[in-house]
Amino acid sequence: MAQHQVNYAQDGGLPVALTTVDKVVNWGRSNSLWALTYGLACCGIEMMASGASRYDFDRFGTIFRASPRQAELMIVAGTLTKKHAEFIRRLYDQMTEPKWVISMGSCANTGGMFNTYATVQGVDRVIPVDLYLPGCAPRPETLQYAVMMLQKKIRREKAIKAQKPKRLM
Amino acid sequence: MQQTNRLRPFFENITFERDDNELVLNFGPQHPSAHGQLRLMLHLQQEQIVKAHPDVGYLHRGMEKMAENMIYNEFMPTTDRMDYIASSSNNYGFALAVEKLIGLEVPRRAKVIRMMLLEINRLMSHLFWLATTALDIGAMTVFLYAFREREYLMDLVEDYCGARLTHAAIRIGGVPLDIPDNFLGDLKKFLDKLPENIKDYEDLLDQNRIWKMRMENVGVIPTEMALSWGCTGPMLRASGVKWDIRKEEPYELYDEVDFDIPWSDRGDNYARYKIYMAEMRESAKILYQTIDMYNETVKNNQTELMAHAPQYISAPKLDIMTQNYSLMQHFVLVTQGMRPPVGEVYAATESPKGELGYFIRSEGGPYPYRLKVRAPSFWHTGILTDLLPGHYIPDVVSIIGTTNIVFGEVDR
Amino acid sequence: MRRYTPKDDVQKKPYYTDRYWVAPQVPKYPVEEDEVFAEDLKAIKKKFKVDDAYIQVEQMVVYIRSEDNFGVLQLMRDELGYTQLSELSAIDRLAERGQFEVFYQMLSMQKRKRVRVKMLIDEHEAVNSVEKLFRSADWAEREMYDMFGIKLNNHPFPKRILMPDDWEGFPLRKTYPLQGDEFAAWYEVDKIFGKEARDIIGPELRDSAMVDRYDTKRFARLGHEVPYGAEFKADQPETPLGYQEEEGVFMIEKFDEEKSVVISDRDR
Repeated sequence: MAQHQVNYAQDGGLPVALTTVDKVVNWGRSNSLWALTYGLACCGIEMMASGASRYDFDRFGTIFRASPRQAELMIVAGTLTKKHAEFIRRLYDQMTEPKWVISMGSCANTGGMFNTYATVQGVDRVIPVDLYLPGCAPRPETLQYAVMMLQKKIRREKAIKAQKPKRLM
Repeated sequence: MQQTNRLRPFFENITFERDDNELVLNFGPQHPSAHGQLRLMLHLQQEQIVKAHPDVGYLHRGMEKMAENMIYNEFMPTTDRMDYIASSSNNYGFALAVEKLIGLEVPRRAKVIRMMLLEINRLMSHLFWLATTALDIGAMTVFLYAFREREYLMDLVEDYCGARLTHAAIRIGGVPLDIPDNFLGDLKKFLDKLPENIKDYEDLLDQNRIWKMRMENVGVIPTEMALSWGCTGPMLRASGVKWDIRKEEPYELYDEVDFDIPWSDRGDNYARYKIYMAEMRESAKILYQTIDMYNETVKNNQTELMAHAPQYISAPKLDIMTQNYSLMQHFVLVTQGMRPPVGEVYAATESPKGELGYFIRSEGGPYPYRLKVRAPSFWHTGILTDLLPGHYIPDVVSIIGTTNIVFGEVDR
Repeated sequence: MRRYTPKDDVQKKPYYTDRYWVAPQVPKYPVEEDEVFAEDLKAIKKKFKVDDAYIQVEQMVVYIRSEDNFGVLQLMRDELGYTQLSELSAIDRLAERGQFEVFYQMLSMQKRKRVRVKMLIDEHEAVNSVEKLFRSADWAEREMYDMFGIKLNNHPFPKRILMPDDWEGFPLRKTYPLQGDEFAAWYEVDKIFGKEARDIIGPELRDSAMVDRYDTKRFARLGHEVPYGAEFKADQPETPLGYQEEEGVFMIEKFDEEKSVVISDRDR
């Protein structure tokens, strides 16, 4: 048996990269943001368009999942009504940690143009939101930018942290 | 970390001890193939549905109430959010109703541009229908192809009005803008390629064994049922009634263009699919003719885009900037709103989904006293009550797909 | 003294109306002008009492008695060929005369004609359901009940349809404010977190024009961000926005604007 001497520290000696656990975990998390298909109204169509052929969301590692248990990103795309509010909280509770929420469009942010009896004035009354995306309806590029901003936010987080409740309730 | 709230597991609709072996299945309101926020309570006998209760209202945003608190022009962008897949057709329905109430005649060039927008919207809506239905049934490829074509149409609309989804491209009394320079060329380029693309989809789906098994003889709607449930549009035409408002009660210039109405007497999902495909071809045919009509208006120098009715419609921008009286009118119309005459109107148009009707009652004030939207999808959702029993669970998805319902319109 | 605002109609009112302004009317024509409508009206008049009938915007409007609605619609469907009930709803005229106006929008496909059958009912009067004639009335009547609180006789499933089952109030009545009452304002909070959470979550912000740049809990300024709740100073240093950190990202190539290609002419 040949006795090779391998200089592990040498560049290109072996495919080894030295880094911190934080960076590796955050790299994994930020580049595999599986989103829950939460198309509620018009913005849901733009969300679908960003998943479709021209705007191809898969290259960001964002794949739409139908089940909250497989998803870690909830893109609330559209108007949240009072009748539906209960279900968004239910689905949010069913998602596994770590989880993030993008509120997409004016309706989800503040109620938008629907300043009426039936509309929840902002999803942040019901679930905590990480990123607000303005627009009515935001273009697919805007949603992609929002996801990239969220990735940046995730990269800043500590991978191993005591999970503390987000600010709502 | 989970936070405490008062939501308990959701069992209120489920009886655990029953004599029969009927199972209650909850479908939605957030289901990827429910095309929005449809909730179905399905009573199952093994895998067969014996009773179905569609539950809607999860996207009820109070648009009719909003209309009572808005001046007429202010309500126009709200109509966009109703059937958000083909927003211009909603704009048009509302504009037509108000124009009938006032008794306005729209200039010819505006009519041609409106027809172009309406047919582009029809194509967009049908392509979107094809994409989502195919995706629900498992044909991912068609989804990607159909969305590619839809993006080109969205580019065209964006060139015209600047928005992709919520156009607000039609005003009461005409259209705000003339079409941009490159528009006709781009439209023609797209239309020349469209038959090839439609043939691609048909090659992928028509004889596909899975597609046929999921579509043929599934969700058969007899003619009486379709009429009784108030079905319109492709849903009615697939059930053997040749009724298209564009042909029967022509509005705009639809009596001048030449097109056919595809219909079928089979009433099943496959018939509806074929009708959607045929309607896309017909829309392309109409669009070719509107291009010629537009060029004709250019030749005849018919450049007016808005109707002339100073009591109701603002003057063109040039007049507003140069003439004092136009500016005064404009100021009053913007701050106080137009005041249509006292009366009622019901105007029906053929939106991509079916008959889209606006009922307006005006009391002579700047706000409508009552505005009721007759949205086709509302009845197409209702028909699921009678249509689903007897089918199997997998059929539910394909039936919801072919009914082509949009929840902004169902719940309003 | 505070100005009196009417409570029976809380919808938006024009703030100025000219004293001498008289609203014009949409012209009404006698039914005899149209042969088809005249014959239909004769057939209806033979069996039922008709209070008023005229043609407005190409459609006939017939006022009938509220107890006759089932009979009239049956006659129209079976004998006059009006096979579709396109729409059914009500108009709230409680403030004016204490009545609802219910309308049925009918369509005949053979004759290509549309007729609107209307009737006036009192506030607490129940309407006969026409669900047995037209299945579409099933949902439309439920919506009418949901929005106006008009009760129905012989309806198979008289429940709310658009609003939740436990909703209070009937939204399309003129007495119901656009932005909802107390119950509507706290509906989702009460249901999800309970009444005790009202103080923590706070009231709804209904003023869509409200922007407070120093309120860092609700607003952020692009390029001048501060942490949640921190104080915002007037000379806040600029924090440039960018979706990648300056020093680059672990294992990800940094986007280089110079190397990127912009496709100007899309292949249509």
